Amino acid sequence: MGCAGSANFLDASSLFFNPGTSAFANKSEVNVAGTPIFANVLFTDSSTKTSYRTQNPIGTPFSVYGLYRFKKSLEPLTLGLAIYTPFGSTVQWEPNWIGRFALTRLSLKAIFIQPTFSYRFNERLGFGAGFVVSSGSVNLQKDIPVQDSLGNYGRAELAGKALGFGYNAGVLFHVNPNFSIGLSYRSKVSMSVSNGLATFSVPSALTSSFPDGIFSSQLPLPSVLTLGLSFNLNSKWSFVLDVNHVNWKVYDTLAFDYAQNTSALSDTKSARKYESIFAFRGGVSYAATKKWTLRLGSGFGFTPVQSGYVTPETPDANRLYGTGGFSFAPNNHFSIDASLYLTRMQRTDKNLETQLNGTFTSIALAPGISLNYVW
Amino acid sequence: MVMRNLKIIGLLIFTSLGILSCEPKIKSPIPSKGELDVSKVIYIGDGQMGGYMNDGLKNEGQKNSLANILAAQFELVGSYPAITPFINSASIGISTAGLSPLHLGYKTDCQGTVSLSPVRDASTGDVSSISQSCYDANNPFTVFGIPGLRLNQFTNPSLAGTNAFYNRMCASPNVSLLDELLAQNATFFQLYIGLEDVLGYAKSGGTNETLPSDLQFQQNYEQVVQNLTANGAKGAIATIPDVSQMPYFRTIPWNGLTLDNGNVGTLNNIYNPLGFYFQLGSNPFMIVDSSANMFAVRQIQSSELLLLSLPLDSVKCNQMGVLFPIRDEFVLDVEELALLRGKIQSYNNFIRQIAQTYNLALVNTDQLVSRLADGFTYNGVSMTAKFVSGGAYSLDGIYLSPRGNAHFANAFIKAINKKYHSTIPEVNANKFDGVRFP
Repeated sequence: MGCAGSANFLDASSLFFNPGTSAFANKSEVNVAGTPIFANVLFTDSSTKTSYRTQNPIGTPFSVYGLYRFKKSLEPLTLGLAIYTPFGSTVQWEPNWIGRFALTRLSLKAIFIQPTFSYRFNERLGFGAGFVVSSGSVNLQKDIPVQDSLGNYGRAELAGKALGFGYNAGVLFHVNPNFSIGLSYRSKVSMSVSNGLATFSVPSALTSSFPDGIFSSQLPLPSVLTLGLSFNLNSKWSFVLDVNHVNWKVYDTLAFDYAQNTSALSDTKSARKYESIFAFRGGVSYAATKKWTLRLGSGFGFTPVQSGYVTPETPDANRLYGTGGFSFAPNNHFSIDASLYLTRMQRTDKNLETQLNGTFTSIALAPGISLNYVW
Repeated sequence: MVMRNLKIIGLLIFTSLGILSCEPKIKSPIPSKGELDVSKVIYIGDGQMGGYMNDGLKNEGQKNSLANILAAQFELVGSYPAITPFINSASIGISTAGLSPLHLGYKTDCQGTVSLSPVRDASTGDVSSISQSCYDANNPFTVFGIPGLRLNQFTNPSLAGTNAFYNRMCASPNVSLLDELLAQNATFFQLYIGLEDVLGYAKSGGTNETLPSDLQFQQNYEQVVQNLTANGAKGAIATIPDVSQMPYFRTIPWNGLTLDNGNVGTLNNIYNPLGFYFQLGSNPFMIVDSSANMFAVRQIQSSELLLLSLPLDSVKCNQMGVLFPIRDEFVLDVEELALLRGKIQSYNNFIRQIAQTYNLALVNTDQLVSRLADGFTYNGVSMTAKFVSGGAYSLDGIYLSPRGNAHFANAFIKAINKKYHSTIPEVNANKFDGVRFP
């Protein structure tokens, strides 16, 4: 439903949206979902009028959510485990593209593992919190403007594993049977790469200037504060609205610290200067029959990337998206969800650091499927 | 029921896959020639226009000349391909002095130290590459990038006798270059001339008094432009860069004399009576200056420039710049620099005026060379005037690398688009070579 869902319990994915809503799970359940992302970016250079495309592999976000509902004396308590990939993508630009010295490939992966407990104080108020361990990897590649005797350019690859910690907590309050309010906070997770490996392929005359070696870096993933509203018009129609405040301000600089510096290889500090933003997500669901539910949604998020800081790694823009989907529940235990996410965005900018100047047009489409088992 | 559901799911997945093939569509406007008549475009200049680089002319450089890069972009608005007096691609090429071009290799100095350095491709240039006429009346050349060409040579009917690069491409050895150009009846010309007129003085450390007078320069320049525009042709003309900002004049540091405990004392004993003092570490070199004192020697000032022609082995091993002061031919001193820069400025003032008078596009190549001296970033690549590693200049320290030529071509295109309301696309300069490393 437009990627909103902080103010009502739908399924075990509540562990991600708002652990407070998980307190209202009536049964134990397991939810497994996969959302292949087909994302393509086109860059049109403003001065040469030439265009270049990404050749991104299919993104593979997945999630596994499990909720265990206690019985009897422990009845208000729910335990959960969430494994999900909220950030992560691979951007692969076509060979020899005009921005090759800024970036040729960036792959970010982060798996969040979140053990969670939720507690239902009464029929109206629930609370939940989870601890987040994030394990990930980063791989950044770009060409270096030094040429060998055949004219081939050099190349740099920075690869490393990253680890970060955080938490996810929230409350849900049922104002009345048809209206509820949720508030959740997913903390910042600072992904640290401490032992990355930098490898360079350069002409032999320059190998001592570009020594392979260790680097360290940090990539902060922002905190998200969400206020959610949920309203049931009747037994068939319900509406949700989430407002997110994403604290992207933490992403100020992308720095790489090389263990061994030379005259050609110094530590880099690239300004990113992200701004914190609001995003709005809303959706409607219609229970057509006992077994079929249809959903539609939409959202709008402001871009955290200021003018002058748009990069080929994240050619971000203000983002309007639409979603649609349905659930089918053949029996009381099993249900299947199918969804589709679609967005298109465009941004023209001149990057202050690289002077790359042009228009990025991005289309992303993500058909998702999720299986839910309740007992 | 289940079957129907499966069908719906199947249909949904199928529809999704259909949308997946949707990639962002390219929406680039078609380049326009605006007010330009590109039916016959000619390119006129010295070696810089013709692809002279690494102190030599050869096929590879010609393909990456300012003229040829420009011509490829002009083709996008309907111009014909450039017709270039190409040297055979198998030839190693030749310099204006008959030497072979340079490449980056390893050189052992007098101290036995091996380091990266420009080295000649061969012991001598390929004289045969320019000894034969390549003129073809059915296919007249459009690229007149003639190494060594100076402004006062355009009307010289015997230029072919002194310039082999011109001799091989001209229709007849008794025709002046200007007449040759006028015979092309061009609709658009791109003229970058004047560099060689100031280089003779600069590269000789001010010992060759070859700078044309303002009046000479103005008369010659206007004569060329007046004739080229007489048939109504439009054109682009370019200013002359301050050559002293080029790596040839900026590579050897004025204070490159490094002293240790032992020789500081010796030098101070010798030079203190003349008022020159030395310290541990970096010190200014000693240069010849007849007006300095009775020994005609003084320390070089930080604003004065040492030339790349300075024999570094003599400096390292034979006390040049220390006990034997560096000769005038390797130094541009304060006065010489003032004269050189003053002249370039006054030539450029006139070129700007001509551009206005004759309503031509003006390319501020002098500003581009200054920007290179300061350094700038282009699509993630740092461009500087640093010798070898800066990317813009070839190994001779004066003529541009292919990538440098591409940046100059973009400056031409910007100026032309602005003047004639065309939308000729610029080139991706990073597609062109800087200096190749072994």
